[in-house]
Amino acid sequence: MEKNNPPPSLPDTDSRRNFLKQGIFIMGGLITAGIGVPAVTYFLAPLWQKEEEDWTEVGTVAELPVGEPFKIDFVQRKRDGWMTVEGRSSAWAVTVDGEQFTVFDPRCTHLGCPYRWDAEKKKFLCPCHNAVFSVTGEVLAGPPPRPLDRFPVKVAGGKLFIKPAQKKGEG
Amino acid sequence: MSRLTNWLDERIGIRGIRETLLDRKIPKGVGWPYVLGSVSLFLFTLQVVTGILLAMNYSPSPEHAHSSVSYMMQKIPMGSVVRGLHHWGASFMVVAVTLHLLRTFFYGAYKYPRELTWITGIFIWLLVLGFGFTGYLLPWDQKAYWATMVGANIASQAPFLGPAIAKVLRGGEALGAVTLTRFYAFHVLLLPALTALLIGFHLFLVVRIGISAPPEKEDKNKP
Ligand code: FES
Repeated sequence: MEKNNPPPSLPDTDSRRNFLKQGIFIMGGLITAGIGVPAVTYFLAPLWQKEEEDWTEVGTVAELPVGEPFKIDFVQRKRDGWMTVEGRSSAWAVTVDGEQFTVFDPRCTHLGCPYRWDAEKKKFLCPCHNAVFSVTGEVLAGPPPRPLDRFPVKVAGGKLFIKPAQKKGEG
Repeated sequence: MSRLTNWLDERIGIRGIRETLLDRKIPKGVGWPYVLGSVSLFLFTLQVVTGILLAMNYSPSPEHAHSSVSYMMQKIPMGSVVRGLHHWGASFMVVAVTLHLLRTFFYGAYKYPRELTWITGIFIWLLVLGFGFTGYLLPWDQKAYWATMVGANIASQAPFLGPAIAKVLRGGEALGAVTLTRFYAFHVLLLPALTALLIGFHLFLVVRIGISAPPEKEDKNKP
């Protein structure tokens, strides 16, 4: 048997062979889409999953020093996939009135070194490349490209809470 | 499209390959019972795709297995759909492959010259059952645990070698962490490799020898 060419009188699209061919392509396409869409959504899930960082309690407002920046150490519970891991973390906080708090990410905005507060100079100093930040986080000297990063803060029931955010690209 | 086909045809003879694979001559009278092989192949592909996706969120350790599965179900978009496809695909696969086997048997399609197709098919069927048995443990819930306990105990009932077989299956005296990693390795590495090889050979034989005609009361086609 040679190839089943449609009779010359009929246009190609009318042939039974073409109808079946198209039917197969359409059904195949639907099945592929039905499996492909969930599969791609699942595979790309990290792109549209938002990290929910929980508020972490870091201290009792009444006990915190006013005026001078202070370091807070806390245990941060982080979600890591299906696990919750606890990690020690810290941050620098400052308040002028004991009500409004500013909490800085403890990593220098240059390359991530931990900086410290120099009580005599009244400035934040980074030891790695000699950056200097003011008490409000502004860059006074050195290479950092932007002021110190801040964590979201809230006060509830006399306790200070922060939301320590992971910066992009860090584990 | 036809330019691409021409390009490929010139180099690897794609038209000839397509004709051999898809435009095969098939005997008169084949019908729905003959789709079971293709159904099985489709389901195998589905299981491979969804299985790869599931493995991306699964951790085969007693501590993490169950919570990684529920994390995938609740937190990953389409996670429950992908797992559902794999779950149901597995059941359908056992059914489809078994029906395919029965069809072949009752149509007498295993006879000369297709003995090798039949034998590889039987091994594929056994591998599919192996997939079912090993995959059942992976969610690491109560059902999984006790079903595997029963399975391993059945194996240990076999005379002489039974206890040894059960021990090798479990990776030790008791069902535990090692059983889970072993079953995981069987399920995602060993069995897929063997199955893919056998399916390749099985399909080669199908293309090479062709499929058998449906049985007739009286064979009028005999010369
Ligand atoms: S890391 Fe702080 S100055 Fe470079």
